[in-house]
Amino acid sequence: MELKHPEACTQCGTCVTVCPVEMVGGHAIVTFLAEPDAADYSVWLCTSCWRCQEACPAGVDIYGLMMEQRRREPAPAGYQAAFEHALACGLALQVSQEALDQVRAAWGLESVELPPPNFARNLLRDSR
Amino acid sequence: MKLAFYPGCLVLQRMPEYEATTRAVLRELGIELEIVQQAACCGSPVVESFAADWVYLAAYNLALVERMEHGTVVTVCGGCTNTLTRGARALQDPGVRAEANRRLEPLGLSVTGQVVVKHLVQLLAEREEDLRARIVRPLSIRVALTNPCQAFRPGDVMGFDDPMEPHSLRRLVELTGAEVIEYGGENECCGATLYLAAPGLALAAGRRKLEATQEADLLLHSCGNCQLLLRRFQRLIVRDEKHLRKEVLFLPQLIGLALGLPAEELGLREGAWN
Repeated sequence: MELKHPEACTQCGTCVTVCPVEMVGGHAIVTFLAEPDAADYSVWLCTSCWRCQEACPAGVDIYGLMMEQRRREPAPAGYQAAFEHALACGLALQVSQEALDQVRAAWGLESVELPPPNFARNLLRDSR
Repeated sequence: MKLAFYPGCLVLQRMPEYEATTRAVLRELGIELEIVQQAACCGSPVVESFAADWVYLAAYNLALVERMEHGTVVTVCGGCTNTLTRGARALQDPGVRAEANRRLEPLGLSVTGQVVVKHLVQLLAEREEDLRARIVRPLSIRVALTNPCQAFRPGDVMGFDDPMEPHSLRRLVELTGAEVIEYGGENECCGATLYLAAPGLALAAGRRKLEATQEADLLLHSCGNCQLLLRRFQRLIVRDEKHLRKEVLFLPQLIGLALGLPAEELGLREGAWN
């Protein structure tokens, strides 16, 4: 485990009490902050709701730490596929212009141009 | 008044009714929305999980908005609101801004980060009195809320409402005459983003809400992710436990009803919630 335990954390455990993942029996990185010896957590379980960070009395950048750790770890297939779609077509969910036009026309919504192909690769150069 | 509109990929591709009803409600308030053409995914929570330089994708979307010269972009998902707002904040750093412009230049775009990003809840909350005056069909129903979590946090960046216990959505729903029931999970994430990593846990998070809100006539939210989990995936949670079934509405559908808009225009059956 490379993640540095942030010195500001006082081990008060507030993060765990507000985490929606904990409430359904999952253990995201907040468990690590509250109990550094626990081994059954995963940064990929974080829902990005920001409650732990907002509630943290010490102001630890928990979200930032979790995202950093994600970038060091293998990703679940669903995340990996969504990221590759975003790189290839700019959207996490792939769609054709024709399908999009159909969905929107059914609701009387104007046509929308999709982003140019592969443009995202020039914007995101620091990804793995 | 015209404002830019950034639906985000989930709403753009899967939830045209959310965009259509948002437009219908705002039209009543004299606001027209112009959609951002060629917009990319906001990236939440996927891109930041892989790319340390995620901010440049946000910069691309913000550059498209700036080109439209409306000053404000309206969002309808918590994740989009959060990512674009944090992106605009990051662009206040001259070094980040210069690098963003270097990367955007080949696309013929530039960015200042001066755009205001507003979630629909915030936009409507700022027009509470105007809305109140336009309610022609008060609703007598019991509503349970799910707040769009990422639209309020981190509080020091989003700068809108109480970050841990926001009240704007509740006030908007109460304007319609509906009774808001408290069930303790209003500020808990719906669990949708968890679905990408652990579907079973995501459904368990949704189930907590369905179990706790049985006395409500409907669950109301204002986010594409909440719709995905609470409505689209509801059958995966409920299975044969029919007592857990729950109507799920977008905020503008409920407000539209109270404004007297035709149910059909709001994607609801005629006579719904009379």
